[in-house]
Amino acid sequence: MASTLWIGNIQFDNITVPVKLHTAVSQNRIQFHLLHKTDRVKLHQRMICKFDGAPAPAEEQVKGFLVDERKYVLMNPEELQQAEPESSRTIDIHEFVKTSRIEPVFIERTYYLEPDNVVKSYSALAAALKELNASGVCTWVMRKRAYFGAILSTGKNLRLNVLRYSDEIVPVKSLGLESFELSEKEVGIGSELINKLTVKFQPEKYGNEHQKKLRDMIEKKARGQKITLMTPKHLKPTTPGKLLETLEKSLKAA
Amino acid sequence: MKTSNKAKAAINGQKQSNAPASPETPVGGLWSGTISFSLVAIPVRLVKSVEPDRVSFHLLHDKDYSPLERKMFCPEEEKIVPREEIIRGYEIEPGKHILISDEELESVSPDRSRTIEIVEFIDIQEVDPLYYDHPYFLVPLKGGEKSYSLLAESMRRTGKAGIAKFVLDDREHLVLIISRDAALAISTLHYSDEILPENDTAAAMHEASNDANNLMKKSIQGMMADFTPEKYSNGRRKKLLDIINKKIKKKTEVEAPETQGEEAAEGMADLMSALEKSMRKVKKTDE
Repeated sequence: MASTLWIGNIQFDNITVPVKLHTAVSQNRIQFHLLHKTDRVKLHQRMICKFDGAPAPAEEQVKGFLVDERKYVLMNPEELQQAEPESSRTIDIHEFVKTSRIEPVFIERTYYLEPDNVVKSYSALAAALKELNASGVCTWVMRKRAYFGAILSTGKNLRLNVLRYSDEIVPVKSLGLESFELSEKEVGIGSELINKLTVKFQPEKYGNEHQKKLRDMIEKKARGQKITLMTPKHLKPTTPGKLLETLEKSLKAA
Repeated sequence: MKTSNKAKAAINGQKQSNAPASPETPVGGLWSGTISFSLVAIPVRLVKSVEPDRVSFHLLHDKDYSPLERKMFCPEEEKIVPREEIIRGYEIEPGKHILISDEELESVSPDRSRTIEIVEFIDIQEVDPLYYDHPYFLVPLKGGEKSYSLLAESMRRTGKAGIAKFVLDDREHLVLIISRDAALAISTLHYSDEILPENDTAAAMHEASNDANNLMKKSIQGMMADFTPEKYSNGRRKKLLDIINKKIKKKTEVEAPETQGEEAAEGMADLMSALEKSMRKVKKTDE
């Protein structure tokens, strides 16, 4: 059972829903250490001064905001504190939106929300959000940081998505993509191919096979066995001239 | 505020990290390889699609105001260790490591380290938002632009997203390939065994009454709006920029000594553009 991270109240339109915040995801992955090749000593991260080339201990580090070439405005801890949001125990819902309108790129992570003592309003909010396919756009303060998020419902349970502020999202325009003339035939076959290859999303189907293989390799090496190196598979790119032909072949094979 | 020419150029031009690779520029980005669906293979590069922007501060050395850089340091020899002298080790017992080279790592799943093979497509509405981990963009490399556009357009038209697995560094990622404004966006997903169980017993005990539900629905309907994330901005930034501006007026800047290398200039350009962006935002809210 995950531990409670935060306790507070969801609030909107004179309605209060007391909730507890819980972690929803736990990653268990193989962790490596970074070692020095020559002496196999575990490496540490240090902050190195660009000017004198030596590590600067924490007490010699100050924060500076760059205003011009090599010119900084220093910020001391008291000034940084002034910018901290006032602590609060409220998740304020400002408006509700259709859940499907929230693009995945905004979602930073998800927390489970559990009812805290009073269950009635929690259940009613969960049921209503589900029925309306709506999510509550909200803001709150947690651990001295101001967050922006969305409250979602599974029907029975409420969840809190932490959203990214919109200026953190790199616009597609900045990629400088050129638009390409595509023939109706090409897009038609492309779409047909995709529809043919479409299945129901079943996340349980996908395991992390790589993790197991990696563990096997580590064990092999630990036993002193030799590892056969394999070359990564490279695919030959489809040339623009061969695209239609390749699509037609794909459709036959699908 | 004075802005150096270099910074101005960076603000007006494209950000370097997101510029598409031309044959003249070396392949950059986080990863490069091929994405395929059925028999069509598209050469691509992986780039960032989000940039956490929290009014970035530089850590400086209080003795000389020189910027500090994060480096790997050998505590035994007390020296900075260059990249080529760093190797991954898996600790099998305290202080004892099995070394794994880059080649060995790439060799673990050779069919997935340089190719993202879309094996099936799904309806994006079926993906529980809980699964989304980290978003990126894929951009086409030379010669791949047409098939890239075709995949993006076909997915847009069908409303589908591709599912694939690929290995980045030492991790295999389950990914969703999404069509976004004629670009291919990619998002890593959590594996289902990483999702913790949801406790629905507490909520299930109570079935809300019809009256309560109707009241709740009315409240929600009265507050329905379009999703406009631009409306919400990080208040901390505005407060920090106010403090910074006051200090600039008082001429309290410090100056770092000159050091070699272009790195500092690039970092600055990025920060300056972040500042400009923030200033515009602050202005807008003030109006």
